[in-house]
Amino acid sequence: MIDRIVIRGYRRFNNLYLSPNAGLNVIVGDNESGKSTLLEAIALVLTGKVNGRWAREELNPFWFNRAKVTEFFTKYGTLEQVPLPEILIELYLADCDEFQRLRGVHNSQQADCPGVLMRIAPDDEYAEEFEAYLQDAPPSVLPVEFYDVDWKDFGDRFLNQRPKELTASFIDSRTIRSTSGVDYHTREMLSEHLDSKERARISIAHRKSRQQITDSTLTDINERLAAEHSSLHDRPIGLQMDQSSRASWEVGIVPQVDDIPFAMAGQGQQAAIKVALAMSRIRGTSTFILIEEPENHLSHTSLTRLISRIKALAGDDQQLFVTTHSSFVLNRLGVDKLLLLHGDRTTKLADLGEDTASYFRKLAGYDTLRLVLANKLALVEGPSDTIALERAYKDRVGKMPSEDGIDIVSMGGLTFKRALELCACLDRQAVALQDNDGRSPGDIRRAVGHLLVNGKRTMLVSDPASGKTLEPQICSVNDEQVLRRVLRITDQADPQTWMTNNKTEWALRLLDADESITFPDYINEAVDLLR
Amino acid sequence: MNRLTLAVAGGRKTQSIVDRCRTAPRGQQILVLTYTQNNQRELVSRLARHRPLEAGVEVQGWFSFLLGHWVRPYLPVRFPGRRLRGLNFDGDPGRFATGESRFLDSDGRAYKLHLAQLALETHQASSSAVLDRLSRIYQEIHIDEVQDLNGYDLEILAELMTSPIELNLVGDVRQALIQTNIRDPKNKQYKGISIKTWFEKQKSRGNLDFFHQTITWRSNQLIADFADTIFDDSWGFGRTVSQNTDVTGHDGIFAISPGHVDEYVARYSPLCVRYNANCCKSLDLPFMNIAIAKGLSVPRVLIGPTAGMIDFLRKGKPIGETPSCSLYVAVTRARFSVAFVAENPARLGLTVWSP
Repeated sequence: MIDRIVIRGYRRFNNLYLSPNAGLNVIVGDNESGKSTLLEAIALVLTGKVNGRWAREELNPFWFNRAKVTEFFTKYGTLEQVPLPEILIELYLADCDEFQRLRGVHNSQQADCPGVLMRIAPDDEYAEEFEAYLQDAPPSVLPVEFYDVDWKDFGDRFLNQRPKELTASFIDSRTIRSTSGVDYHTREMLSEHLDSKERARISIAHRKSRQQITDSTLTDINERLAAEHSSLHDRPIGLQMDQSSRASWEVGIVPQVDDIPFAMAGQGQQAAIKVALAMSRIRGTSTFILIEEPENHLSHTSLTRLISRIKALAGDDQQLFVTTHSSFVLNRLGVDKLLLLHGDRTTKLADLGEDTASYFRKLAGYDTLRLVLANKLALVEGPSDTIALERAYKDRVGKMPSEDGIDIVSMGGLTFKRALELCACLDRQAVALQDNDGRSPGDIRRAVGHLLVNGKRTMLVSDPASGKTLEPQICSVNDEQVLRRVLRITDQADPQTWMTNNKTEWALRLLDADESITFPDYINEAVDLLR
Repeated sequence: MNRLTLAVAGGRKTQSIVDRCRTAPRGQQILVLTYTQNNQRELVSRLARHRPLEAGVEVQGWFSFLLGHWVRPYLPVRFPGRRLRGLNFDGDPGRFATGESRFLDSDGRAYKLHLAQLALETHQASSSAVLDRLSRIYQEIHIDEVQDLNGYDLEILAELMTSPIELNLVGDVRQALIQTNIRDPKNKQYKGISIKTWFEKQKSRGNLDFFHQTITWRSNQLIADFADTIFDDSWGFGRTVSQNTDVTGHDGIFAISPGHVDEYVARYSPLCVRYNANCCKSLDLPFMNIAIAKGLSVPRVLIGPTAGMIDFLRKGKPIGETPSCSLYVAVTRARFSVAFVAENPARLGLTVWSP
């Protein structure tokens, strides 16, 4: 299992330090927060390859952290000159017997443990050329040809192939429509799925059949060619089947699903097959499974099936890293397995109680990711509370809360306690607005008191003297005529009754109205805290 | 329990290791070590005949074992910031070099001369992590030709004896002709054949079970009996028993005069060996130095003896440890016959061969 991950200077990571969970890791984060980059970095160090090609051959200037590169070039030649950008990716492995060959102290933490690393640093041999390049006022792009890619274990042993104790399956979300039929990662999984005897058997049969074509069909043709061309060339020209390694069976054999070739299968099915392949690899060996956005291309039912497979995969021997944009995936896999990525910081939810995790699992449709990813968060009872708060905010600040990065999340079936517990684990700023429902605000606040922090997480409760829910609260601070005008209701109707009977409708009318109303104190307070 | 088997020449020492590797169960991780490259090649090719093996078996040279498992993973613990960049085979940092410069040259390569000491110090600096790591990779370590080890190597051996790894040492101290580090002053008193004394000490400390294997499958009894006379009884080697009962019509130990050498060679095609290039210069024969012939098995041997060896043959005068080992190796290459070339063959007290 990977205990720790250190990434320095790779793409958007300047200095990432991460301790993943032993079994399952659900990686979430905003767009561009580096979810895919993290998977890519793990795969890079585990396999030494990027998309099936050696890192050394694929090395690209844009692998380097852009901020570091820019800093280097702007400060170069000045007194503040900084060292050349480097990339370091380290995977610290659990201290178990099977990894001991990878053990040593050659890592940035000087820890005595097994591990593998990749370090991309300027090659000393090219120091002079590099210096000359920099003297020449070059563009702000690193000349990667002067860089060296070292792939090593923590015992300082250079690796030139994947260490046999590490098996990685990368299930990416890319669709497969290439001519080769199967992408590199799937091909890797396929060939490991077969044992050496089976592989040998296929290989022999494949070569035999090719030889047979040469011996039978092509013989007649070759005789004709030899006769026709004898005048052109003094040696006979003929055809034969390619028997070189380019024509090996791996290239010619593709998996099929219900007699349909893999590449022609639906995208969802392809993803499901890849996961199935990863699952059925030889048991007992420790594997790392990287899954990119499993929700892509899948219907809801297929996704549910896929997720239960993924969950079955995570165990003592397997460590999974799943990136996702889907709250459904997150809830189902377990909110406690969440690994939130923001910049170089990561937050784990391992401290979240198991009962809360299972609560979210049951509430799989809930948009948990909004709670997780929001910049500033307001938690409200329902849709009408959401709209009321939006209107109150707009009246005061002059724009919608969303424009200020405030996400107002309605509780739906979720209790405030669960939501606040999640926020507390994420150390997230949040304002909760709750109806008193006839209870005293003090009691309500006390129930979640351990989750509240002054200035960070506040619970605002409406005044019981002004009514149990939002509608009476509004009615208590507004003149009936104003409400009738703003909400466009007839003079005969009682505003409070009408509002209670048309819960969302009144709120929508309020949002569209030119004239506004007065809001109860607890809403105004919320606006103050949020703005 | 750790085992040491001292076997006679032709006692199938290497084969005993190959047999163990062949029968070891699946999942067992075995490391086989030996010093000379010849012997490494021999082990690899003999094991290859039994592939695929159930157990995981690796063959490594002694130095690459020290470099790869002892020094490289933990060098920064002994010398912060340093990395191992290779082996300096011939270099000598000088007697007074201390600290880093005693062990590593300016290119970061470890001096072979002090490699075992560096290995030991790195192990100590790592708070025994070296041995912990090693014992979690391998369940068994076999060392062939263990008599080749000397100096600080013995300290490494002593460390290995304390680990959970099952250690199986095989060798023949009477063939102690080659040494890993001839100039290492450490454990001087246990150099060459005297390594036996060190093993006895380890046995008395309970670190080692000590076995003598006195059956030879190579030399016939006549040769074996002669070879037994080279070391006196105080060494306690016991009598060698031969399992080779083939009779060829020319069996045992012979003496020949230089004048008959050509006919002898023409008739019997023996392997011609000598102590070193200074011996028997007057004879025009395809001589091989004895140390190089170590490990070979041939039907017949012709020996160009030193003056000391002649004295030993004539009067039984002891010839010192290293020449004794040399003579023992030379004689025990042969399955059927050994011939000594001497100006006055009749004086050697051996059967004189003439055409």
